[in-house]
Amino acid sequence: MKITTYINDERKDFQVEPGEVLLDLLRREGYTSVKEGCKTGDCGACMVLVNGRAMTSCTLFVSQVDGKKVRTSEGLHDELAENLRKEFVEVGAIQCGFCIPGVLVSSYSLLTHNPDPTEEEIKAALDGNLCRCTGYVKQIEAIKNVARDFEGVSK
Amino acid sequence: MLKNVTEYHIPGSLDEALSLQDRESRSYFIAGGTGLALSNSNRPVELIDLGKLHLDELHLEDESGKLEIGATTKIQQLVELDELQDFAGGYLANNLEKVGSYPIRNAGTLGGSIVRPFPWSDVVPILLSLGAKIRYFDGTHGVRDLNNLYSDDFRETLRNSIVTGIEVDLPEVGETRGRFYKFSRSEFDIASLNLGCTLTALNGKITRARMAVGARPSFARRLTEVEDFLQGQSLENDLAEEATEMAADTAGVTGDRKMSKDYRLAQVRKMTEEALTGVIGDFLEQ
Ligand SMILES: Cc1cc2nc3c(=O)[nH]c(=O)nc-3n(C[C@H](O)[C@H](O)[C@H](O)COP(=O)(O)OP(=O)(O)OC[C@H]3O[C@@H](n4cnc5c(N)ncnc54)[C@H](O)[C@@H]3O)c2cc1C
Repeated sequence: MKITTYINDERKDFQVEPGEVLLDLLRREGYTSVKEGCKTGDCGACMVLVNGRAMTSCTLFVSQVDGKKVRTSEGLHDELAENLRKEFVEVGAIQCGFCIPGVLVSSYSLLTHNPDPTEEEIKAALDGNLCRCTGYVKQIEAIKNVARDFEGVSK
Repeated sequence: MLKNVTEYHIPGSLDEALSLQDRESRSYFIAGGTGLALSNSNRPVELIDLGKLHLDELHLEDESGKLEIGATTKIQQLVELDELQDFAGGYLANNLEKVGSYPIRNAGTLGGSIVRPFPWSDVVPILLSLGAKIRYFDGTHGVRDLNNLYSDDFRETLRNSIVTGIEVDLPEVGETRGRFYKFSRSEFDIASLNLGCTLTALNGKITRARMAVGARPSFARRLTEVEDFLQGQSLENDLAEEATEMAADTAGVTGDRKMSKDYRLAQVRKMTEEALTGVIGDFLEQ
């Protein structure tokens, strides 16, 4: 089937097998920030935004994103995204880095919808992301620091 | 990946969707896709997308307490919707947040969560403990008690039906409050046991009780003996003790590799007691 999707603001037309998952399409097309981890919706390494909502691309069929906007970690360029990247590096929230694009997408999604989250809300937003290196303490710290400085709509 | 899928249909009406289902059942309805994507099954050859059937509507009649939710409504939408924050004291919205993770709830739908008989489902006992009914379309529109979900004849009906939504009819008078507990190895893991209970009370008396236990480890069921015992009683904390034993006797739990039978029974007792003392406490504090 033919689908049209808007990946990182760019219109893309694809001929796809309808039973293929979005993760496989994205990697084939070179969006390598989207990682294949568990492929069961558990680890969050393949997290993307679909129409602004964080979803695991391994549990979505390509046919389901026809006409929708998909954003991967490499498509996050605004000030919020850059602040998150900088802060993750500064506080030492990254070790092997495999989970980080997915964690960034989840953090970005959280702060876009809720610029002033509590620690519990940060934990809830990351509950679909597994990190086996650093744990979550530094990631939570980084998100808190960005939230504190972020001129979000509610501040 | 469903590697044998060659066709993807997006029907515009329930009749059309139903007519696309083939006799050999190699065509599958798709809602959020989270369950299907994981199946990696070779069986499906056609997918029938339910996304354009306008089954994502919600109606809440404040006066009568009647709630109707369309089947393709995403679980996370139900967590966030303003209209649901006070429904049954927030019971539905607060507890659906215990289903999976945020990204899974963003994709998974209400209908997709009840059609397949997952014994560990949290959605089913949450809805059962609200006394929910399931709406379906098999050529004509039907409604049945969700408690029939696992009966053979209803499963047969559902094989050739589209689940169109659920409805919850709270009693028109009185207030409803509830508690739901999920026991799992981590926040994100599926339940090893879950239990939900709602009570409706008026003038210090329980007018309606609904209690359900799931991941027993078999399918969720209502504990109607406990419900019957509670209905008509005055709101007093010592009710919990008798109800707790009754729940343990009738929950029908067994052991599996996640939990022994004894441990499950102990958890049923603990959850029942905490649920009842918690809800009764809420009412008494008012
Ligand atoms: C990583 C992960 C963690 C999870 N954790 C939990 C958890 O903690 N608790 C919990 O309760 N659940 C959990 N789930 C289950 C999740 O909630 C279900 O996968 C999801 O809700 C299914 O909904 P869907 O819309 O994605 O279904 P789909 O995948 O679209 O469909 C599932 C099945 O239902 C059929 N179907 C769907 N909608 C209809 C309809 N309206 N009428 C008829 N048939 C229909 C499809 O044909 C298919 O067979 C988890 C799932 C994943 C992937």
